Amino acid sequence: MQENRPYNPFEMARSQFDRTADLIDLEPSARELLRNPLREYHFSIPVHMDDGSVKVFRGYRVQHNDARGPGKGGIRFHPQETIDTVRALSMWMTWKCAVVDVPLGGSKGGVVCDPHDLSLREQESICRGWVRQLARDIGPVQDVPAPDIMTNDQHMLWMLDEYETLHGGRYPGGFTGKPVALNGSLGRTQATGYGLVYSLREALKELKIHPEETTASVQGFGNVAQYAIELLSRIGGRTLCVSCWDQEDHTAYAFRRPSGIDLEELRSITDRFGGIDKGKAMDLGYEVLPGDAWLKEKATVLIPSALENQITGDNAGQIHDQVRIIAEGANGPTTPEADQVLQERGIFVIPDFLANAGGVTCSYFEQVQSNMNYYWPMDEVLAKLDLKMTAAYIAVSDLARRSDLFMRDAAYVLSVNRVVAACKDRGWI
Amino acid sequence: MTTTSLQGVPQFGRRFFGADDTFTRIGTGALGGKAEGLLRVHRDILPALDAGEFPGIEVAVPTLTVLATDCFEAFMRLNDLDPLAFSEEPDGRIAHAFQRAELPPEILGDLRALIARVHTPLAVRSSSRLEDALDHPFAGVYGTKMIPNNAVDTDTRFSRMVEAVKFVYASTFFQKARRYLTSIGQDPRAETMAVILQEVVGIRTGDRFFPDISGVARSYSHYPAPGSRPEEGVVNLALGLGKTIVDGGVSWVFTPTRPAAPPPFNGFGDMLKKTQNRFWAIHMGQPPLPDPIRETEYLVECGLDRAEADEALAFVASTYDPSSDRLRPGIAASGPRVLDFAPLLTTGVVPLTPVVLRLLEISERHLGAPVEIEFALTLDRRRGLPARLGFLQVRPMRAAEGRVAVTQEDLGRKDVLLASESVLGNGHLESIRDVVFVKPDAFEARHTRRCAHDLEGLNRALAAAGRPYILIGFGRWGSSDPWLGIPVDWSQIHQARVIVEATLPGMNPDPSQGSHFFHNLISFRTLYLSVRHGGEYTIDWAWLDSQETAAETEFVKHVRTRWPLTVKVDSQSGRGVVRHEEQEVR
Repeated sequence: MQENRPYNPFEMARSQFDRTADLIDLEPSARELLRNPLREYHFSIPVHMDDGSVKVFRGYRVQHNDARGPGKGGIRFHPQETIDTVRALSMWMTWKCAVVDVPLGGSKGGVVCDPHDLSLREQESICRGWVRQLARDIGPVQDVPAPDIMTNDQHMLWMLDEYETLHGGRYPGGFTGKPVALNGSLGRTQATGYGLVYSLREALKELKIHPEETTASVQGFGNVAQYAIELLSRIGGRTLCVSCWDQEDHTAYAFRRPSGIDLEELRSITDRFGGIDKGKAMDLGYEVLPGDAWLKEKATVLIPSALENQITGDNAGQIHDQVRIIAEGANGPTTPEADQVLQERGIFVIPDFLANAGGVTCSYFEQVQSNMNYYWPMDEVLAKLDLKMTAAYIAVSDLARRSDLFMRDAAYVLSVNRVVAACKDRGWI
Repeated sequence: MTTTSLQGVPQFGRRFFGADDTFTRIGTGALGGKAEGLLRVHRDILPALDAGEFPGIEVAVPTLTVLATDCFEAFMRLNDLDPLAFSEEPDGRIAHAFQRAELPPEILGDLRALIARVHTPLAVRSSSRLEDALDHPFAGVYGTKMIPNNAVDTDTRFSRMVEAVKFVYASTFFQKARRYLTSIGQDPRAETMAVILQEVVGIRTGDRFFPDISGVARSYSHYPAPGSRPEEGVVNLALGLGKTIVDGGVSWVFTPTRPAAPPPFNGFGDMLKKTQNRFWAIHMGQPPLPDPIRETEYLVECGLDRAEADEALAFVASTYDPSSDRLRPGIAASGPRVLDFAPLLTTGVVPLTPVVLRLLEISERHLGAPVEIEFALTLDRRRGLPARLGFLQVRPMRAAEGRVAVTQEDLGRKDVLLASESVLGNGHLESIRDVVFVKPDAFEARHTRRCAHDLEGLNRALAAAGRPYILIGFGRWGSSDPWLGIPVDWSQIHQARVIVEATLPGMNPDPSQGSHFFHNLISFRTLYLSVRHGGEYTIDWAWLDSQETAAETEFVKHVRTRWPLTVKVDSQSGRGVVRHEEQEVR
């Protein structure tokens, strides 16, 4: 795995936006409006710890733009969380919601903390404290949070409970990522991974590659990767290699089987953080290779589904000649320098905020169902997800072809134009 | 968009109507028997029809998409349904479990895209692999569901379609289907199911959607009318959905080479009583109480008054004029209506018969065997043309093979147990000693269901013992109407090698026309004889009663003869006889 380089994600997000603004010759007022979040909340959350002490945690919520609808975005718990990361992510959420054409804006939130060092009661206190700070500024018609790094459905339920207590009612549409048994949506677990494969399927059609002739190499073995591998297999493809982080060795490994990995087999030896047991994998006959082997695999498709900044200008040249498509399951896995290399090599990229938009799409579905207090069967959720992702892919692809743009640029152009149109229609600019 | 083509069938491109291809697939597995037959029609048979041969009539296979067998297999695996499917749970339990199961995610987008664009009724039809692989009839074995598909919102239409697909999947494992497969020596586990999603041919009027005419035509008739030869074929026509014909209900029967031939009735009074007076339609109105495991959930049966209100009788009915005691084609005058299709068959305004004859001819040539075709027709209810004929199915008939000569004299011999001049099949048997019959003295029409139950038990015992038998009963075997006959399905009497359809004064319908049931007779080479009470040839009940009783219930008796019976059925002369020759005579 690539070592994390220090970089400013908000600057990267802004530079991506600036590039798009130049492409479409965006007027200065729109640029100014969209380069910055509309609103930011910075606050402190005092928590009585289990040991009797009181600790104060910093929390954030950034609402980048809500011209198209209530804000949408997750809440991260991370010890290195910074406001710039949250700003960048909130901006990417705006574009993500716009590219997949759900009527939502972009938000993101976070708390600077490490849940590994916190008891459940302490985490609950943080969650409830976060909501108390923001109760007036979030909710079903304003801004709808969801889980993100190191938060999960339990955190959402605590937060929802606090929100409902403060507001004196039931507002299941106020938070998404809830368990199915408590106002969550079926299909949520599969949505991001499946959504990636719906986009990939359309790309394969465009490139006239049969799914049955498709092989993949995947970075990461978390939720997104596993469900992407699952659906890819269902449509006839094979995954040859997956990589993941080994918590014990503090390094990444790649697990390879030329005949194709057995998903259920690997799932059975994987911990809840997506870490595959190296020894058991070897016993099952997998080759265990250095973590970056996934990038060099002779496969049709690469699916980076772990962290940002993984395909860079330095290593993009190591990608095998056979690779035709990169489908970005993670946020920001490819640097702008790598983009250049990929373009020159003729490798087709499905950009992150299109490829991994299945999750936010299903979050939107959950919000809709929750607001109606009526829940759809799985068939309906997944069918709608397929159509939504397919339509989004086709819209971006058509624009890319018509305007001779790289897919990432086309996705940004489409998104930004939609957001700008909404701002104009509202009379903001 | 790139399409993947398997067997020359393009992948569904998310447009149903308006796409270049009217025959598409979802999935990469087999298409199943019914779909394969339709593919043959689409690709080979219809192109042989000259474009201008029948001006005003469009003949086509209604637009369809096939969910290939791999979708079914993925569904079964995804939901781990095998243990339940092959258990002894009742059909309802199986159906409910299938409704709760999830379709494979890789097909949902295509299904959703299909239903988003289609707002007209759909037929969700079974198309099993074994019905393609085997030379056995499968009609009526698996489920078919018609859905109105007229809800305003796509979500509801999508749900109804998904329910229908799951119902058809579940029907693969219903008791009737599993018994049938076992009866033909097949392992139910070898079966796999494709599903056809097909446009329904019809016109909506008010709350009803139905074709003007449904029909089944055969190029070889096992019931040739007087003066007709078997090779001239036979056509059954019904108003409304073809369910009327397939279920053995009342339909109009004629020889296609003689469409205007006099009706086989005893006067107009008889005709009024014995022609179709109810028809099936898809109910388009207020949704019924949900019942996704009932095959007829969205169907409604209506009387002729409804059809007349829908202006659907002008070309299919005549009117009886009591003052002249005549039947006048059409409905210009008031009076009782008779569905004799005379306006259509005698005026030639809509050349249905020539079209059907031509389709039979081309189909027979392509399949290399006598065929049966199903079709549905809509027409301009005022002018006749233009009309649209939807070709719904083609399958080979197993025609009579070989020659068994039965003379008139054979029928009158002293050792005759029963004789008939109305037979089905062709053959000579000399080994049967078991006879199962409905006791004439105990029989009443209101007890036909109990008869069916008793017969099933005897059949099972005889099948277990490997003993074929002669079955004798009253009314139409296999009729879905218990007042017209004994409502058995094939699996309840499959061990019978000879089936005799007799009548009594209180049970005297015309011989059965249930096409799916009587295809079983031909397929299994089961011989059929029809014996009418009061006719020239009867059944020697006294002799039967004198035989050793092997088993008996309140309504049914099983006797075992001392010597094997001789059975001869001659399809060419239409005669058949069962004799109880004594051993020393041979």
